[in-house]
Amino acid sequence: MTPAKKAKKKIEEKIFIPQEKLNEVLERLSKHFRVWVPVLSSSSNGWTVEFRPFTIESEPFFTRQSTMPPKSVILPQGETLFQYEYVKNSDDPSKQDLILKETINAEKTLVFGARPCDVRGFVICDWVFLRGLYLDVYYKSRRENTLFATLVCQDADDACFCSSVGGGPGDMEGSDIRITSTSEGFVLEGLNDRAKEVISLCECDPPSEEQSRDAQRIQEEAKNRIIGSLDVSGSVEAVKGQFQNMGVWRDIAESCLSCGVCTYVCPTCYCFTITDEIQGLKGERLRSWDSCMFHQYTQEASGHNPRPTKLERYRNRLGHKFCYFPLRYGGVIACCGCGRCIRSCPVSIDIRSAVERVKEVHSNACVCS
Amino acid sequence: MEEKSTTSANEMKIIGFLCNWCSYGGADTAGVSRLKQPTDLRVIRIPCTGRMDPLFVLKALISGIDGVLVSGCHPKDCHYAVGNFYARRRLEVLKEFLPFLGIDADRFHYTWVSASEGQRWQEVVTEFSQRIHELGRNPGVGTKTKTENSVEAY
Amino acid sequence: MWNEITEKLHEVLRNVMPQVDVVLGWERGFNPLRIKPVVVRSEKDISRLVWNPFCVQNLTGYLVKNPAVIAGEGKKVAVCVKGCDSRSLVALIQEHFLDRDRLLIIGVPCQGTIDWRLVMKKIGNTTTVFNAHIEDGILRIEHSGGLEQMSIESVLLRRCLRCAYPNPVIYDVLIGETVTPRIDKSELYRNVAQFEQKSLEERRNFWIDVLSRCVRCYACRNACPLCICQDWCIAERRDPKWVTQRPTIKDIFIFHSIHALHLAGRCTECGECERVCPVGIPVMFIKEKLNEINLRLFSYEAGLDPQAVPPLLTFNPHEAGI
Repeated sequence: MTPAKKAKKKIEEKIFIPQEKLNEVLERLSKHFRVWVPVLSSSSNGWTVEFRPFTIESEPFFTRQSTMPPKSVILPQGETLFQYEYVKNSDDPSKQDLILKETINAEKTLVFGARPCDVRGFVICDWVFLRGLYLDVYYKSRRENTLFATLVCQDADDACFCSSVGGGPGDMEGSDIRITSTSEGFVLEGLNDRAKEVISLCECDPPSEEQSRDAQRIQEEAKNRIIGSLDVSGSVEAVKGQFQNMGVWRDIAESCLSCGVCTYVCPTCYCFTITDEIQGLKGERLRSWDSCMFHQYTQEASGHNPRPTKLERYRNRLGHKFCYFPLRYGGVIACCGCGRCIRSCPVSIDIRSAVERVKEVHSNACVCS
Repeated sequence: MEEKSTTSANEMKIIGFLCNWCSYGGADTAGVSRLKQPTDLRVIRIPCTGRMDPLFVLKALISGIDGVLVSGCHPKDCHYAVGNFYARRRLEVLKEFLPFLGIDADRFHYTWVSASEGQRWQEVVTEFSQRIHELGRNPGVGTKTKTENSVEAY
Repeated sequence: MWNEITEKLHEVLRNVMPQVDVVLGWERGFNPLRIKPVVVRSEKDISRLVWNPFCVQNLTGYLVKNPAVIAGEGKKVAVCVKGCDSRSLVALIQEHFLDRDRLLIIGVPCQGTIDWRLVMKKIGNTTTVFNAHIEDGILRIEHSGGLEQMSIESVLLRRCLRCAYPNPVIYDVLIGETVTPRIDKSELYRNVAQFEQKSLEERRNFWIDVLSRCVRCYACRNACPLCICQDWCIAERRDPKWVTQRPTIKDIFIFHSIHALHLAGRCTECGECERVCPVGIPVMFIKEKLNEINLRLFSYEAGLDPQAVPPLLTFNPHEAGI
């Protein structure tokens, strides 16, 4: 990596981007970074917001949480782990050689306008890919090359519950830059050394005193807001205790469609499958999103499936987030409280009430016996 | 589809799905009779046109195959009595459906050729190949994708 | 009005409860805009059920998809259906997935169902919804940001705006008064005709654009009551492998084409595929075209006559022209 160019001007730690200058600044940044911004999808019902690489025509959309999280920036829906090709061995024609080509390709990336819950998703995934038994080089290279400019969240609806799972609307864990959206524009503050380069590339003035005060007030408000009322304590024991009680899982998940919406919109769901996609003598090993809601996910080669119905599959999703993950990774709940699975569920299954229900059944069972 | 090709530059890729009992025999008859035919067609033998899944045609056209030809026994002459009756409905629905997705229906043709109709086979192939040559290369669907998270190889 | 109908529903159910084992209906979800399907097994739970324009889900899929909701020996399953849902039932009966005699169909004429996304867009998306009240075609929402009123027509799902069958076509009990269809049957495929004015390339680009959002969560497939391959869908089979795991537009195109073609002549246009899509792809539009073709070629509309055979499951040796 080349060392960052030394800016002649003193680097401002805090800058202000006026609303009308935003695209100009993002364009400047996109010469140095691949910049992802949330945009409203055209030709949909005017609701879907997703992260897309910034182009000059982009109209960044910050007034609502994105429908899809920025997960695919670090964990793409499909990524080539390596490419391969079979070639004839020139010495022994009966043999074939295998040529492998590594495909790790991480560009410098900036995610502009993610929310605290979105970034928390990566903080949780880090446990698995960076701090677990194995180090995932693909994840690592992308994670290290990605900066997050995170919006202090001023929006919440009745599906949000970030405060219940350790986050909050002002939580900046995992973020490099704090964006505070004020009425006239955006106040950006660098939170670590990595942010300096971005801040200086913006070539913007520091905020006025009033703008600073505005931002301060918004940050203060965010800090004091409690979003969601779920109490996750005791979820580990409850899930363990009620694991075999299929009655409670039927109550919760009988209406489940077994589709992958909840897992694909989830910033913390990282499950993947690996397939060889081969055509002729050339192919690639592909890692792509998978979902524990699918039958194939646990299908064994023998034909046996240990999670034959949606009930076992839903139990796994909930159990993974609120029991197995905290058990393995020092009590960390694998949920960022963004509420996307609740909002996007076609049959309105609510993971908060599911956790509460399991806990309730568990505590009743304990009292009786 | 970037494989090294042994075909000449102006040859088109056309796939022909031929029923084992009639059209495959018809193509054979044409060959035995030394009737001159264009060389763009690659033949896949199927047991009956009733085996034709519209997916075969769709996948070929989406992948950028220039033309797809399906040929079977004449109606009321099916080896399995009714296979081509089912096929006729499916293939017609497919033909009407393709343009809705933005795929040129002219690249797909289905017809009936019996085992003895070598001459007719020659006409069918010649006509269809000509049509495909006039239409030119099939761009397929999505050789370039908008989703930026797609794999590098594509 | 909706409270009265809900009460009527409870009353009817209490009366028929001796014949039935389970009831498939809707209950309130995490906010008043969000209704969820519920399976009721005892009389005391009947009061959980509701019926109002937020009851968007088609419940008939639960009768056939694993683990299917079935009734014990000699008993029936009671299922609540709107007009469109009832057509799915007919299609399932036609194809012998369901036994009509084991069903107790409770029909509810439908004035259209509401898209929560459109409502949230109107009231501002950062609020908590306390109450939703509908009277005379006006929706009144009480939320943390205040009170908002809007006409139902402005927040209906697309499927409802083009609905020609709001009244159940098959039922044992009908609750509420029948309603006049929003559009005439002759207008059903107006949008298809309009779309076909575009050039081939424009059409292809339209689909590439909308389908590029697809994340292959397969919700459209799983929500469809007639997608009966379920866990054995061709899209996920590895051998033969028709669709790769690549998230490219080509594979997405193939998946959606398969999905649509498997429903050719069977799709009853309940619009669930489109409603459940998390990224707003007009999935049903593809099927509308196939239905238009089936209507034109075979004069067939799916899900109206339990005795009829879907056109692609049969043939006519004498038909000319095709």
